[in-house]
Amino acid sequence: MSAPSLSRQLILDRIRAATHKLPSEASVAAEQLRSYIRRGKLSVQDRLKLMIERLREYDAEVVDCMPEEVPAAIGKQLALSGRRVFVTPEGLPAQWLAAGFDWKIDRGLENAEIEQAEGVVTAAFCGVADSGTIVLHHSNSEGRRVLTLLPDWHLCILYANQVVETLPEYFDRCPSPSPLHPSDKDLSLGTPPLHPSDKDLSLGTPPLATYISGPSATADIEMTRIKGVHGPRFLNVILVRDEN
Amino acid sequence: MSGTLTGHPVLDPRHAPPFPIAALPVLRNPQLRKNVAHATNVIQTKRARLVAEKTDWQELRTAAAAIRSHVLEDLGSYLEEFEVRCTAAGGKVHWASDAVEARAIIIEVLRQEQANEVIKIKTMTSAEIQLNPALEAAGIHAYETDLAELILQLGEGEPSHFVVPALHVNRSQVREIFARRMGLKDLPDDPKALTAAARTYLRQKFLTIPTAIGGANFLIAETGSVAVVESEGNGRMCLTLPRTLITLAGIEKVLPRFQDLEVMLQLLARSATGERMSPYTSLWTGVTPGDGPQRFHVVLLDNGRSSILARPVERQTLRCIRCAACLNTCPVYRQTGGHAYGSVYPGPIGAILTPQLMHMEFAQSLPFASSLCGACYEVCPVKINIPQVLLELRSQVVNQERRQPARFGDLMFLGMKTANAIFAGARRFRAAQWLGRIALRPFTRKDGWIHSLPSLGAKWTQTRDLRGLPSQSFRQWWVARGKEER
Repeated sequence: MSAPSLSRQLILDRIRAATHKLPSEASVAAEQLRSYIRRGKLSVQDRLKLMIERLREYDAEVVDCMPEEVPAAIGKQLALSGRRVFVTPEGLPAQWLAAGFDWKIDRGLENAEIEQAEGVVTAAFCGVADSGTIVLHHSNSEGRRVLTLLPDWHLCILYANQVVETLPEYFDRCPSPSPLHPSDKDLSLGTPPLHPSDKDLSLGTPPLATYISGPSATADIEMTRIKGVHGPRFLNVILVRDEN
Repeated sequence: MSGTLTGHPVLDPRHAPPFPIAALPVLRNPQLRKNVAHATNVIQTKRARLVAEKTDWQELRTAAAAIRSHVLEDLGSYLEEFEVRCTAAGGKVHWASDAVEARAIIIEVLRQEQANEVIKIKTMTSAEIQLNPALEAAGIHAYETDLAELILQLGEGEPSHFVVPALHVNRSQVREIFARRMGLKDLPDDPKALTAAARTYLRQKFLTIPTAIGGANFLIAETGSVAVVESEGNGRMCLTLPRTLITLAGIEKVLPRFQDLEVMLQLLARSATGERMSPYTSLWTGVTPGDGPQRFHVVLLDNGRSSILARPVERQTLRCIRCAACLNTCPVYRQTGGHAYGSVYPGPIGAILTPQLMHMEFAQSLPFASSLCGACYEVCPVKINIPQVLLELRSQVVNQERRQPARFGDLMFLGMKTANAIFAGARRFRAAQWLGRIALRPFTRKDGWIHSLPSLGAKWTQTRDLRGLPSQSFRQWWVARGKEER
């Protein structure tokens, strides 16, 4: 097909003709552009309290525990769920796989097998307290996207040091890759400095990410909020208090 | 009872009647107006509460407007950067200069996939290019998977809002559609049961249909990633389970950097649905081995957008992130609902976007479908000055009419010419007031209102009442008052 590349040139020519004709309207000073709140002001305790509060507003089930209690806490939540068959990503610590349950570890499970599981247990990349958001970057311990999609029940293990207050603080933990053309690419919007303590957690921008803010929901019929359309209906979080 | 659903023409600005005519059936349908008022009130209340809790809301709007303006100023470079990054990550980027080409590209990809069925995430861009009828004609059945889109597809209705497209349909109408089309005779009409029916109906489709089509909320230039924001999880299903994914996106959807999402995502859900964040935001970059579709196509659609870019006042239209806050707050939209606009993009943003996408050749009545109250500008998260653009487009429409020789036979034109002459002199104006008072007296009811006028006057009174002329003008009152004081 030769037509598509012709269209590419046609569209880019039209755009260039349109944008070259007009002067730039970038009149707002760069510092003013990023004058919204970047860093939260809450203490660690209040930040975690807010995270729990927001999650509960979404009807998520939240419990907390100390780092050494994680396996026991997982076992308890699984038992309380009344479910038996769970899928889990390959990278989850072995001691988290509580005895007495049917574990299906994802080493390339078929969708049908994942669909038949009653629940899924994963780690997380980050939690954003302001909006009660769980961030998954789909690493080895967070699992492929399908894993946290098909089962109806999701248990997520979130560490207190992964919880930030504001959305910009999460983005600070994912610094941008090097620009494509460093010389001709001045975005003029200014990159905010990273907080020094975040450097260890910097992993770059994720190729895959899912931000979960409460269970799947719809309000399409008369604006009545209904939980659980296609994604998991039940979100459970164990908050691990490792903040010190 | 499905009268509000069927019988609507396909929302094509080329064939839609002018706004005042198209609005009439809605204004005479109290059930429909009730549905629209309820939905917009609910969203507005939730939005107001969540915007109020954000102490940096105005700073976020300023940043968002600056980011979106900046993209448009250098759109060519950002699109090329997106193309390079997306291609490097295993995606295939296509460019479509218009709707015909976009449909052809998508159908060609589907043919190569030997697809006769496809699952779809809600995308207004697909409605803009009228993709579904083209797919049907090519022998490919599209399944809409967003609950509202499913209601409309099964009920053969048209979207009337771009966040909650079926807000004009109530629960008993949904029950009727689902019962009929899914063969569920005993389906109750509570939203929970209706939602469950949709879940069951679509589950097998998600698991078995290997090709999906969706839109994009944002394209990220520096990473080549695509972002989709949704509530139900149907988006995640379509983005994760199929073998092949096609994303259709307007060329204006680009953001320079991944980090720009920190601004956009804080504004989008609050403005659109009155939530802090939508339940699911999905980001992916080309193809990831072992996770999700292994073949990924992006179709970048121009379809009139680059011509908007060339115009200094109108360019801001392209900043839009389709949150629909302007629809919910608009006193006109809240009365007429979406169908009166004759376009998949209704409301204030539709009133400026639709005629421009049509190169000002169709939908010229839409810039006049506004009271210019400015509520849309106030809520817009990317600060599009919609009233300013409306006025600019109105002047273009008037200039078009000026060039038509037929105007000399047009009563409105002659009336305006006459008014021009009358307003030019005080004596003529006073005489006209005197004549007007006498002429209007027979039509003025006891309550002081005129409910219907003949001939040209009916153009006003068919949709609104008119205050009768007072027995005394301000000038007469002023003169009389001066005499009394002396």
